[in-house]
Amino acid sequence: MIEPCNNYQGGARGSGDIAVVYAGDYVNKLSGERIERECRNKLDAGCRTLIINFKGTELVNSIGVSILLGVIDAAEETGAHIVFAEVNRHTIKLFDLLGLTRHVALADNEDAVNKMLAEFAVPPANQGH
Amino acid sequence: MPTEKPNDRARGKRILGRIAPADFVGRSAALRRITSLAPHGAEQGGMLVLAAPSAGTSELLRQAYDQLFQQRGGSSPIYFALSRNDQTVIGAARRFLHTFLLQLIAHRRGDTMLFDATPTLHELNELVAPSDYEWVERLVQAYERGREGGDERALVRLCLSAPQQAAARGAHSLVMLDDVHLAEHLKGETNLGAEIARASTNAEVPFVLAGLRRRLLDVMNESEERVPFDGLATLHLEDLTNDDARLLVERLARTLRVPLSDETRDLAVQQFAGNPFCLTALVQAAQASGASLQSFRDCQQLYVDELMGGRINRRFNALLEEISPPVATRRSLIRVLHESAGNIGGKSPVEAWRRRLNLEGAELERIMRGLHVYELASFNSTYVEIGTGLVWREYLAANYRLQVSAEPRALVVADTLVATLKRAPQTMARHYRREAALKLNELLARFDFQRVPASLLHYDRFRRMYKGVSGEEVAAGLDAETDLVRLPQIVHAASGASFHPPLLLVTDEERCVVAHGFDATPYTDANAVVWVAAEVESKMEVGRALTEVWCERLTQLAHACGFSRARLWLVSPEGFSADASELLNEREAFGSSRQQLELLTTRIRPEERADTASAALDEFEMVIPMGGDTELIAAHTVEQIARRLEFQPDAINQIKTALVEACINASEHSLSPDRKIYQRFRVESDKLVVTVSSRGVALTPPASQNNEISNGNDTNGSTKGRRGWGLKLIRTLMDEVEFERVDDGTRLRMTKYLRK
Repeated sequence: MIEPCNNYQGGARGSGDIAVVYAGDYVNKLSGERIERECRNKLDAGCRTLIINFKGTELVNSIGVSILLGVIDAAEETGAHIVFAEVNRHTIKLFDLLGLTRHVALADNEDAVNKMLAEFAVPPANQGH
Repeated sequence: MPTEKPNDRARGKRILGRIAPADFVGRSAALRRITSLAPHGAEQGGMLVLAAPSAGTSELLRQAYDQLFQQRGGSSPIYFALSRNDQTVIGAARRFLHTFLLQLIAHRRGDTMLFDATPTLHELNELVAPSDYEWVERLVQAYERGREGGDERALVRLCLSAPQQAAARGAHSLVMLDDVHLAEHLKGETNLGAEIARASTNAEVPFVLAGLRRRLLDVMNESEERVPFDGLATLHLEDLTNDDARLLVERLARTLRVPLSDETRDLAVQQFAGNPFCLTALVQAAQASGASLQSFRDCQQLYVDELMGGRINRRFNALLEEISPPVATRRSLIRVLHESAGNIGGKSPVEAWRRRLNLEGAELERIMRGLHVYELASFNSTYVEIGTGLVWREYLAANYRLQVSAEPRALVVADTLVATLKRAPQTMARHYRREAALKLNELLARFDFQRVPASLLHYDRFRRMYKGVSGEEVAAGLDAETDLVRLPQIVHAASGASFHPPLLLVTDEERCVVAHGFDATPYTDANAVVWVAAEVESKMEVGRALTEVWCERLTQLAHACGFSRARLWLVSPEGFSADASELLNEREAFGSSRQQLELLTTRIRPEERADTASAALDEFEMVIPMGGDTELIAAHTVEQIARRLEFQPDAINQIKTALVEACINASEHSLSPDRKIYQRFRVESDKLVVTVSSRGVALTPPASQNNEISNGNDTNGSTKGRRGWGLKLIRTLMDEVEFERVDDGTRLRMTKYLRK
């Protein structure tokens, strides 16, 4: 599932380049590739912040993790931020174990997401005119 | 079907049986297996009964007959035994046909009086029920025509097809053929053994084919056409266990009103090694002579009488006469047998036998085979090994003196009696020692790659850590130990004396064990290992000198047998002194005390037996197809099981993730032919053991999987480069992980300990 840019339900402010991708209940090869495809599409469309929401995600397997690492690489190449939102405690431990948490920002809930988006937001004046 | 009520004899307990059912002990399970074949329509293809000599097979079949006869209404039991009185194949086949019809009619009429008469085939035809008349008459007529026709094989096949023909007309039977191995002695152009095999496997009637275990299959396989025995169940009939043999003697003595003491009962059981024929002969002899069995002297006097002139003597005489009919050759045979028995291990070269018996080729081989079949000796192309039975050896010794040395009979009887009386306490002591032995072979057989605390195999370490410590503390200490020894998987364990007979001079047979196995899978030369273990008797810690002697003995054994990798293990009740332990360590040998052995025994789980009730209670099994996210089903299942054990939520998630990874691993790497993943969840008090296995190519875990997880630092941009974390992840999430190659695939065993 993907939310369109500028439509983050948490109410992100001032940025027209945010996309939210929902991970689903099980991140494996199939769902991982779906997430990857949607994320790459959004990055290609100019998204500057990708929020992958793990609300309701029960399990992530190692193939899913490897695909998420690919997404992180892709985002880093375009200079986009990645936020993993609403990740449960066990999955955080798993990501930690596999080194993902060093490359992404983690947000527990909507407030935390909004706060991060505020931090990521770049003033229009500094956007390269 | 019969309408008459069974007569008095049938209502009684014995028809063919020679002893009362209540006195028939130790064979309940065997009896059940045989009688369960009787119900018509039961899904079975008959049974082979492979029996030790004089283990009571005939009585077992006769008891089965009586039981089935008295049940009435079902399939008719048929019992037929080939006999040494049968001369020809045709004669035996005709006797079978006659017996079959007689017993079938008797059962269907419920009339056991028929057994006392000797009706001809034609007379039998007059006795059949109207519903059976037509097919019986046709069968008898066909037999008469066949007899005149002169085609032996056709006539034999006709006789043996009687059960099938009867069944086709609704007269079902269970046919029990006894002493089938005797078929080879019959004269004729037709091989009766092969014909019996053919008839039993072709018919829809269940057959029970019984005979001596060293000959039965050979006799039935001597045919041009290959007979498939696959559908036949197999029943191995051995001598009685100690408990059953004791019960047999007690029951018989009570029935025959022979006074018996516990001590003589046990002596008889040990002396005859639970052989029902000998035990019965002894008690019957006591009854016949009005003697009691209340002292060793009573017992041994009767025993010597039996050995020198009673049933036991006649049995061995008859066997030797059958094996070697000419008196002169038989005398030479007794001499060679007795003298060979005196060699270490009772072994002597075949060549020596050839020269001593002055026999060549076929005749020598015939005698050897006879001895082999009756288990009086075993032979291969090089050596003859005399049977170790005590009674057989004592019979040989006495007959050697009588027949070869021509000593006076009174002297031989007196000497034998004195010798057996002197031997009696030793026989019992031997029994007690055997009972008290640590049963190393059973323990070794259960090793199965399990890991145990190293202190259990190093006495010095154990002494240092646990001497004087309470049992609970020892258990806790062992639980906490991190230095573990992975035991081998033992595939064959046998007495050291079987490999190296001189050991019998210094220890009891069961106190030294040679166990062949593998340290790990795959089964390769590099992984092959032989454990040579021995119990060292001592009331205190064994010192360096004795330890060295034993290490040398076991090393010599390993050397003599050509074991390239041998691991020595000495066990002593009280352990080993400090310098002895030092020696063991120098030699990289293990040393354990009885206490360590007991702890080891409790920590090694018994052989997994899926059919035990306890296994059913704490073990769950599941098979899932590969693919389609079925690993989630497995994860949810293990979650439920882990919750029952009250694992913490974090641990449950770790187990789930590990299981998912294991399933993915199985799916991705196995090239599985059945595309299935087999899972077993074993719940123990403090842990959950999850085993995931799959058939197919057994891949060694990739080298990369043995490294640490890369922590996402692999930035080559390719997800492929980041794959292969499964096993590493599992190792991180679970407490113990073992990856094994098995016969046809791989098995991953993962253990998670409960930490509340």
